[in-house]
Amino acid sequence: MHVVVCMKQVPDTTNVRINPETNTLMREGVESIINPFDEYAPEEALRLKDSCGARVTVVTMGPPQAAVVIREALARGADDGALVSSRAFGGADTLATSYTLSMAIRKLCGGKTPDLVLFGKQAIDGDTAQVGPGVSEFLEVPLVTYVKSLEVAADGAYRVTTVMDDGEQVVEGRFPAVMTVLKEAAVPRFAPLAGWMAAAKAKIEVLDEKAVDADPIRIGLKGSPTKVVTIFPPPVKGGGEKIDARGDGEKGAKAIAAFLQKKGLVK
Amino acid sequence: MIETDVLVVGAGPAGLATAIALRRKAADGRKPRVVVLDKGRSPGSHVLSGAIIDPSGFKGLLTDEEVAKMPVEAHVVKESFRSIMLPKLSVKIPWVPPMMSSKTFPVASLTKVTQYLAQIAAREGAEVYTGYAVTDLVEKDGRIVGAKTGEKGLDKNGRRKSNYLPSEEIRAKATVLAEGGCGILTERLIAEKGLQGVRSQTYAVGIKELIEVPAGTQTAGEVMHTFGYPADFTTYGGGFTYHVSETQVMVGYAYALDYRRPEIDPFRLFRRFKATAAVQRHIKGGKTVAYGAKVIPEGGFYSAPKPYYPGCLIVGDGAGLLDSLRIKGVHIALQSGVCAAEAILADDLASYETRLHATSGWREMKRVRNVRAPFSIAMPFGVMAAGLAWATFGRIPWFRLPGLGESDAAELEELKPGRLEREAANDVPSGPAMPDRLTDVFMSGTIHEEDQPCHLKIKDPARCEECERRFGSPCTRFCPAEVYRRDEGRLQIDFSNCLHCKTCRIKCPCGNIDWTFPQGGDGPRYTRM
Ligand SMILES: Cc1cc2nc3c(=O)[nH]c(=O)nc-3n(C[C@H](O)[C@H](O)[C@H](O)COP(=O)(O)OP(=O)(O)OC[C@H]3O[C@@H](n4cnc5c(N)ncnc54)[C@H](O)[C@@H]3O)c2cc1C
Repeated sequence: MHVVVCMKQVPDTTNVRINPETNTLMREGVESIINPFDEYAPEEALRLKDSCGARVTVVTMGPPQAAVVIREALARGADDGALVSSRAFGGADTLATSYTLSMAIRKLCGGKTPDLVLFGKQAIDGDTAQVGPGVSEFLEVPLVTYVKSLEVAADGAYRVTTVMDDGEQVVEGRFPAVMTVLKEAAVPRFAPLAGWMAAAKAKIEVLDEKAVDADPIRIGLKGSPTKVVTIFPPPVKGGGEKIDARGDGEKGAKAIAAFLQKKGLVK
Repeated sequence: MIETDVLVVGAGPAGLATAIALRRKAADGRKPRVVVLDKGRSPGSHVLSGAIIDPSGFKGLLTDEEVAKMPVEAHVVKESFRSIMLPKLSVKIPWVPPMMSSKTFPVASLTKVTQYLAQIAAREGAEVYTGYAVTDLVEKDGRIVGAKTGEKGLDKNGRRKSNYLPSEEIRAKATVLAEGGCGILTERLIAEKGLQGVRSQTYAVGIKELIEVPAGTQTAGEVMHTFGYPADFTTYGGGFTYHVSETQVMVGYAYALDYRRPEIDPFRLFRRFKATAAVQRHIKGGKTVAYGAKVIPEGGFYSAPKPYYPGCLIVGDGAGLLDSLRIKGVHIALQSGVCAAEAILADDLASYETRLHATSGWREMKRVRNVRAPFSIAMPFGVMAAGLAWATFGRIPWFRLPGLGESDAAELEELKPGRLEREAANDVPSGPAMPDRLTDVFMSGTIHEEDQPCHLKIKDPARCEECERRFGSPCTRFCPAEVYRRDEGRLQIDFSNCLHCKTCRIKCPCGNIDWTFPQGGDGPRYTRM
């Protein structure tokens, strides 16, 4: 079994602010981190490695420093990985990114599709949740989104539980599949120091537009029909009501109950 | 088991200087394997300083080009020293000894400089790994032979979770402790092996904010050092405002932890300091954007421990290497790292101390050995300005230094009735550049996995009750992160707020708080401190 996990490096948006005058992102001092939603998919893949000997390949698209995402996954136990990186990919929207990633995945699998491709549910910088589904289209592989748990039977059939707005859904199928994975799926493991030491030395393959045989007009800015017209901060929410119940839990509980009653949320 | 030539514990300036010098000064083909570990999430995330850096530390370590490319914010263009007496009354000191001047020195965020040093170390082939707390030294036959990393993935009852990661052991021919002030392994080694200096170490807690101010009101590179108010006459308190750019100013206040009145709250003093006219001038219209706190070992020359034990060297703040007259330690941290590297490469660890004693940093420490930072600043002024003599209260500073084995904490008086209320009444109103404590803690970025054992261990809960009666639980005030609070008649510990400053370990009047390591990677996430 071969599992490919796609991960992304993003700016730590908890620290990103928007300059109110120019409406541009202020990135000064903002760290790059692994997209928090992408921590769970690799864990799911590593569990498949533990349980059925799957080979785990990690792919990320981004600037050269995004290689650290792959190293971290290798440190945790992934088998190999590739960085999809080139100036030509710059400015890609979700369509161009999906196309590029699908080409890279094909390349890494010798022209075939892997058994399973995993994504996080969405990236915290764009919050679109479109790249996983996009890759499934390009690879022509069935898609399951918002996966909360995944079981694989010995004969290669899978059974997953997905979370939807109004409930949960159990889906059974056979690989290949593309899945987007939720936080609930798995608590990510820590990388042992010895794992980091090996990962730090690993040579990471870099795939550019030529290596993935990409059509030049479908990548980067050229391949991106989406245009960002404007960026603005969401309206500031009015401060909530603060109930200070330090030292008196009962009073606090009553105040909360009264508040909910007033809103008509409880009787 | 992992094997390396050199293990460095702590990726602050001292540890990284050790690593860089080890790789640079070794002959080609004989470069040692160097592993540097830090408990912060990334290099510099647990490093906090002023910082005006004395460039003497770069010599023999970095190339001119590297120094030129260092991410410093500004250079000191205008420097003043002020004695603050009252909220609205302060005087500028007309003259200071030349050795105190830092004109032209770089002003930087030490967090950023540390990130930069980590890059250089990596480029030189040292291996820097973050997110690993080193929790124990390994000793064999009277020699330190390595260390162990902390476990991860324990739940709050200490049971293994699905992501449990066991401790890993690293064996090294030499282990360098670069933990910074009040390092846990360092303090343990000093105590167990009797490495104390002539006097035990004394500390100040340094509290700092980065404040953004409107453009066009301030000058980059203008710095002010203050002493006095809101500290009383018996305790050292000193502050600074460093304009790192036209729109950003670093504001800090250091308060000696040998204070005696249990009602004291250093965070509130910091607020009162910011509310003085002398400081307001520099932060007008500003808004606090980052926060942090850390202890400063300011005992100086006589408090410096013996920095050597077979197999092991201590560098930087951990070895008490700080010029307590100027509250500058970065340059000595760097110099000590270079000396440690040279001693290791010469295969003569014991020679570290002699090498260290030949550095300019150590010579300065020696020169100011009899003037402990607190009063050291007042003293030269006292000499030249009779009007200031009152500030020293006629005391000769070195008379009140704690003796060997005497701890700062032992000195707390019992709480007198009405004192807490009076202290609270002195607090200043909050505002954009005057956040309350929890707002500040939020801006430090500190975070700890909640489902793990509390890393601040109370040795004997009964003593906390006795402390409440006698001292009114000073931990609820001296902690700059509101980790400790009394709730429903008992002490609650919100360890997730912890800034790893170690004030509680030093100041708990009953020595009742055991500071152990939380999961590696947890703690503050400084980016601009
Ligand atoms: C408010 C304030 C202002 C200051 N102003 C100045 C100034 O203007 N100029 C100046 O020169 N100096 C100044 N100093 C002093 C200066 O910051 C220190 O001297 C310097 O940071 C010491 O460097 P270090 O490498 O020894 O320790 P640190 O910078 O403290 O670094 C220690 C590192 O070790 C890590 N660590 C500790 N224990 C472990 C462990 N067991 N396992 C893994 N990692 C560990 C920590 O996370 C940290 O990253 C100031 C200090 C403060 C607090």
